[in-house]
Amino acid sequence: MAKYRVAVDVGGTNTDVFIFEEQTGDIQVTKVPSIPSNPAQAIVNGVEKAGVPLSEVTLFSHGTTVGTNALITRNLPLTGMVNTKGFRDVIEIRRSTKEDLWDAYKDVAPPHVRRRDRLEVEERIDATGQIVQPLNEEDARRVARLLRKKDVKAVAVCFINSYINGIHEQRMKEILEEELPGVFICASSEILPEIFEHERFSTTVANAVLGPVVGQYLRELTTRLSDMGYDGEVLVLHSGGGVMTAETVVNYAARIASSGIAAGAIASAHIAKLCGYDNAIGLDMGGTSTDISLMYNGQVRVTKEWDIEYGYPIMFPSIEVLTIGAGGGSIAWVDEGGSLRNGPQSAGADPGPACYLKGGQEPTNTDANLVLGRLDTKLLAGDMTIDKEAAEKAIKEKIADPFNYSVVEAADAIVKVANANMCDAIKLISIRRGYDPREFALVAFGGGGSLHAAYLAREMEIPTVIVPRYPGITSAMGCLLVDVRHDLSKTYLVDAKTVSIEDLEKVYAELEREGKELLEAEGTPPENMQFLRFADMRYAGQWRSLTVPVARPISSLEETLATFHSEHQREYAWSSQEQDVQMYVLRVTAVGLVPKPNLPQYPKGGDAEDALTGTRAVYFEEAGGFVETKIYEREKLPAGAALNGPAIVEQLDSTVVVPPGVKAEVDEYLNIIMQIGEGRR
Amino acid sequence: MSEINRVDSANELDQKNRIDQVNHLDPVTFEVLKNAFINLVDQMSEQILRTCYSFVIYARDFSSGMCDVNGDTVMQGSQDVAVHVGTLHLTAKAVIESFKGDIHPGDVFIMNDPYVGGTHFNDTRIIRPVFYQGELVSFMLSNGHWADVGGSVPGSFDITATEHYGEGMRIPPTRVWSQGRYLGDVANLLVANMRVAEDRLGDLRAQAEATKVGEQILINLMDKYGKETVLLAFQECQDYVERVARAKISALPDGTWETVDYIDMDPEQEEGLVPIRVKMTIKGDTVDYDFSGSNPVIGCFLNSAYSASFSAVISGTKTFFPEIPLNSGFYRAVTAYLPEGTVVNAPWPTAVTGYCSGSYEKIMNAIFSLWSQIMPERAIACSFNLEYLLIGGWDLRSQQRSYFMWYDWMAGGHGGRSFKDGSNATAPLFGLGLSVQPCEGQERLSPVLTDVHAIVRDSGGPGKYRGGCGVEKGGTLLSLERAVMSYCCDRARSITWGINGGLPSNPHGVRLNPNKENERFLGTIFSNVPVKQGFSFTRPSAGGGGLGDPLERDPELVLEDVIDDYVSVARAAKDYGVVIKTIDEELSEYEIDWEGTAKERAYIRQNRKAWIEEDPYAVRERFVKGEIELLDVIRKYGVILDWQTYEVLPETTKEYRKMLQTRTVTHWKD
Repeated sequence: MAKYRVAVDVGGTNTDVFIFEEQTGDIQVTKVPSIPSNPAQAIVNGVEKAGVPLSEVTLFSHGTTVGTNALITRNLPLTGMVNTKGFRDVIEIRRSTKEDLWDAYKDVAPPHVRRRDRLEVEERIDATGQIVQPLNEEDARRVARLLRKKDVKAVAVCFINSYINGIHEQRMKEILEEELPGVFICASSEILPEIFEHERFSTTVANAVLGPVVGQYLRELTTRLSDMGYDGEVLVLHSGGGVMTAETVVNYAARIASSGIAAGAIASAHIAKLCGYDNAIGLDMGGTSTDISLMYNGQVRVTKEWDIEYGYPIMFPSIEVLTIGAGGGSIAWVDEGGSLRNGPQSAGADPGPACYLKGGQEPTNTDANLVLGRLDTKLLAGDMTIDKEAAEKAIKEKIADPFNYSVVEAADAIVKVANANMCDAIKLISIRRGYDPREFALVAFGGGGSLHAAYLAREMEIPTVIVPRYPGITSAMGCLLVDVRHDLSKTYLVDAKTVSIEDLEKVYAELEREGKELLEAEGTPPENMQFLRFADMRYAGQWRSLTVPVARPISSLEETLATFHSEHQREYAWSSQEQDVQMYVLRVTAVGLVPKPNLPQYPKGGDAEDALTGTRAVYFEEAGGFVETKIYEREKLPAGAALNGPAIVEQLDSTVVVPPGVKAEVDEYLNIIMQIGEGRR
Repeated sequence: MSEINRVDSANELDQKNRIDQVNHLDPVTFEVLKNAFINLVDQMSEQILRTCYSFVIYARDFSSGMCDVNGDTVMQGSQDVAVHVGTLHLTAKAVIESFKGDIHPGDVFIMNDPYVGGTHFNDTRIIRPVFYQGELVSFMLSNGHWADVGGSVPGSFDITATEHYGEGMRIPPTRVWSQGRYLGDVANLLVANMRVAEDRLGDLRAQAEATKVGEQILINLMDKYGKETVLLAFQECQDYVERVARAKISALPDGTWETVDYIDMDPEQEEGLVPIRVKMTIKGDTVDYDFSGSNPVIGCFLNSAYSASFSAVISGTKTFFPEIPLNSGFYRAVTAYLPEGTVVNAPWPTAVTGYCSGSYEKIMNAIFSLWSQIMPERAIACSFNLEYLLIGGWDLRSQQRSYFMWYDWMAGGHGGRSFKDGSNATAPLFGLGLSVQPCEGQERLSPVLTDVHAIVRDSGGPGKYRGGCGVEKGGTLLSLERAVMSYCCDRARSITWGINGGLPSNPHGVRLNPNKENERFLGTIFSNVPVKQGFSFTRPSAGGGGLGDPLERDPELVLEDVIDDYVSVARAAKDYGVVIKTIDEELSEYEIDWEGTAKERAYIRQNRKAWIEEDPYAVRERFVKGEIELLDVIRKYGVILDWQTYEVLPETTKEYRKMLQTRTVTHWKD
């Protein structure tokens, strides 16, 4: 009997399935259309299409945009909130800021819980955890009954200072559970026991509104999968870059708010590591946007704050992904000042680029790449034809004529501006954070990443570009490459130079105990458990903290302090040994190790000419214009094949551009590796 | 063009192609460099945000900028606080003026002087000249609001000041690093005069470090693209902004529009609103603002110096052109005449620290109301006034006594708009990125327990499109001693107004010990009021003014407002003429009485023009007897009282009613 591991990435348009056979190492990939009204059905369709019997599946893992989409479309269940008297508007006042400072007509979205459904009870705890006003139980019962009458499907209990003492929230939760059986209830002190009311409330509300949505989805999915013969755990990728079992996710639904986005970052990091790179930038370019992520020293960069909509942060650790409005469908335009712009407006899939002949009149990056010969007029293995004349017409009218350029010059300018925008985004996530791109590899995937990657690398002096074997389903693969991971935290404000190690050990031990319980409940055997410790630290008086690793057990604080100083030096180009340092939040990551697939390796020695399908004139400014360029078929490119630019490699859903002078090689994992320059590796 | 060959070998773009015969950059190079400049200033902002010591800076009261060698602004941060907009070039020019011929590589300057290009003393500016191959090419600026710069009042907001001496350290352009050497004695002289001096040194260092980030990026750009190309891009960025601005302005009709907004009073004069008059002229592709006729400087610190007023002009205009980037190119198309000696151009040594609550937002709102006539689709009524409450003293909660500053500002309501309500609980126009502080953080740092932080019912100015709702925040003082309270606000009398028939919102002002025997209304500007353990206080922020006739508001929208408790059942009838029946108050179930509504609206239509002309003293009598509410006094009768004594303010009422006639009554169609 075969043993399969199945990974599924449920995206907005497509559901991608990546299947790995443990014994032979065989890989199978399929794509089926997503079904937004019933995402579980699309998964089942995909697995069926691949022809894999679920009884032979040993591990099922998936990333999903179910949570992300529910938040974006606001297709959410009626949710109530219980607050400390005087504080029901915290979630509406937020931090009061606007995203767009200058547009008086552009508003921040309203909170997920309407004011009418936010009820108050008498209770108050102060900043030291002392009870100032006991919870008025009568009030609490009254509020619970009102919420029952309102027929809410979820309730968020959010009291002031509950991060330091959650006793009132706990009691309120009990009362709600008694009065509203079957309703999803979460308390902020359980979800995120961290200081700052809006951020904690916002995270708790996100968790409350998603609980019923995610719960229903996962119940359906697990039932369907088990009906079809799967008897293992259903693992779900969370925003922090680990997986959780379906049962755990139901209580921490907000943790999967960026599940789908995280998958690509993980996979690109994994592929880079296979190729021998510990530092890599992931570039996932799709139709409307590009997601950029960063791995340094083998760790994917994680942020403490994430939001789907401005003003409503979700404070769980999330893989840091920078999304910019630059994709194949991004529109090139000339503004009033006569400046050539590119995006963020996108023609999307409908009407799409001008060359799709679906009514789009605006020139896009796809149109420009077609005019330059970098894209063929036939895409998706001939399933789709795009029209070069339409692309030329759009570029001529909208760009070439205003600048007095030829159509080709204009197309080249469009691509250059798109590249510059992507470079600026890469700078934000690398140079701005103190990372030198010359020490990184660029992993290019998604439909469009490999069209532009070589030029981005050249501009940023990134020495190496890696194009994975399956650029279009890289994200799905990411789901098979992670461990079970739970992030726990506790606000703990102390002087880092004088705090007693015993006290710290106690807090860490408590967090680890919670993590262990979660792992045990999910069936992780003790030998597969790992606990990592971190602390958020800052110079006394500063307003923002850095997360640094802490030893387990702690032998001395000096090591932790030294790490903090050096991280601060790297991020902000400044540090001071003399300054007082505070610890602020203690964090534990509880890891349950999951076996990873060994991707198949092939012996090198093949010849690229086996994959040659013909030639085409492709424009390269650096070569003086159009050059007759060899076209290769990716499926036929063997390990070891060497390519000398200019060359184009085509596959089902992406195209690789190897510019003149660039040398590329197919490695033993069938990745294409382009060498762009020397770098500083 | 001798630099033209300095191209990094890795970069294969042909340098010569970038500059065509008429000395213009090609579109790709221009776009790339323009975006690189945006990236540069935003990286400076990111740096300061993450390393600053003043929580005011952390709450985003700061700006970053890159100026050319003449001091003109090439680019500024996309998330900068509005109040610094339009002042960066003046700051750079002040440094150039002071140190001409004596500026060297490795120098760093500091200044906060509002009389030569600053805003107020707290806004401390660090300026770093950038040299490339020995030649001065640019200035990097990092400006931030320091939590304290000394003076007689914690937080350096002394409302009683009429001259600047004693408000805080005035720092004219001063060198703090000389050719790379840190001048510790100079820095210490400055911060030794400030509260929590070590944090101020932290801010100084963080800002200097931020300018260094900008310097390094600019040098890298010059290495890569060549100095001449980058310098040409400096000019072209400004030309580009000027071109966009002029193109947009020429598309508008020529003409002249006038309006007036008011500061509450001049404490050295009899009661009476203090006018700021604006005449705006669009001619061809330029806009000019003339502030002739504005009040002479007043006897408190709400005056504004030239640069701060110019900032308000630019920010006010920019709001109607949100997509135009800002740099000195914009100032070529938009000009202002600010007569010296008035509240909009206070000369040295007039106190101006409170300008942000005084002239600043009055200028912005006045400009909004003018543009609302020219671009009705982007119209917006008046928004609440910036307010700062400060309690400073000794915290006795732990054995170690420590000095605390509970420095607080609120969100408030913004004005109603042409097809939608104003936004609730939003940062002030002064800086829409200015974030309110979390109570949980404040409670750790200061002996003040917050009792309430909530939206205020009925605070939104009534209109066809309601003003956004304001907020209330108040607390109780815990264990402390030698504590004082100060407040910087306005519009207790010049109450946040509506336009196109919309009504005003509610007055600002602090109440000490509300609903207790020793209750006191302290007003909108006061400083160093002694406060003790056990005292409580609260204050509302105003809602925004309404837009359009409230009697034309869709009753269904009024019903929704009642359900969400933004509007009370009582005021739904009084302000909107919408009669709401309560089904179940606890469950927020209400319905519209359509017949009652028709009658109520007819009744109001018939009488409202007479109400607004009723004898103010008679109105006051009925209010004191409890027959009418405070909001009736303002919205229905247009009467302004002293909110502590409830005496009629006859001159203020006269002027306010005049404004109501223009902004509101003439727009009613009955």
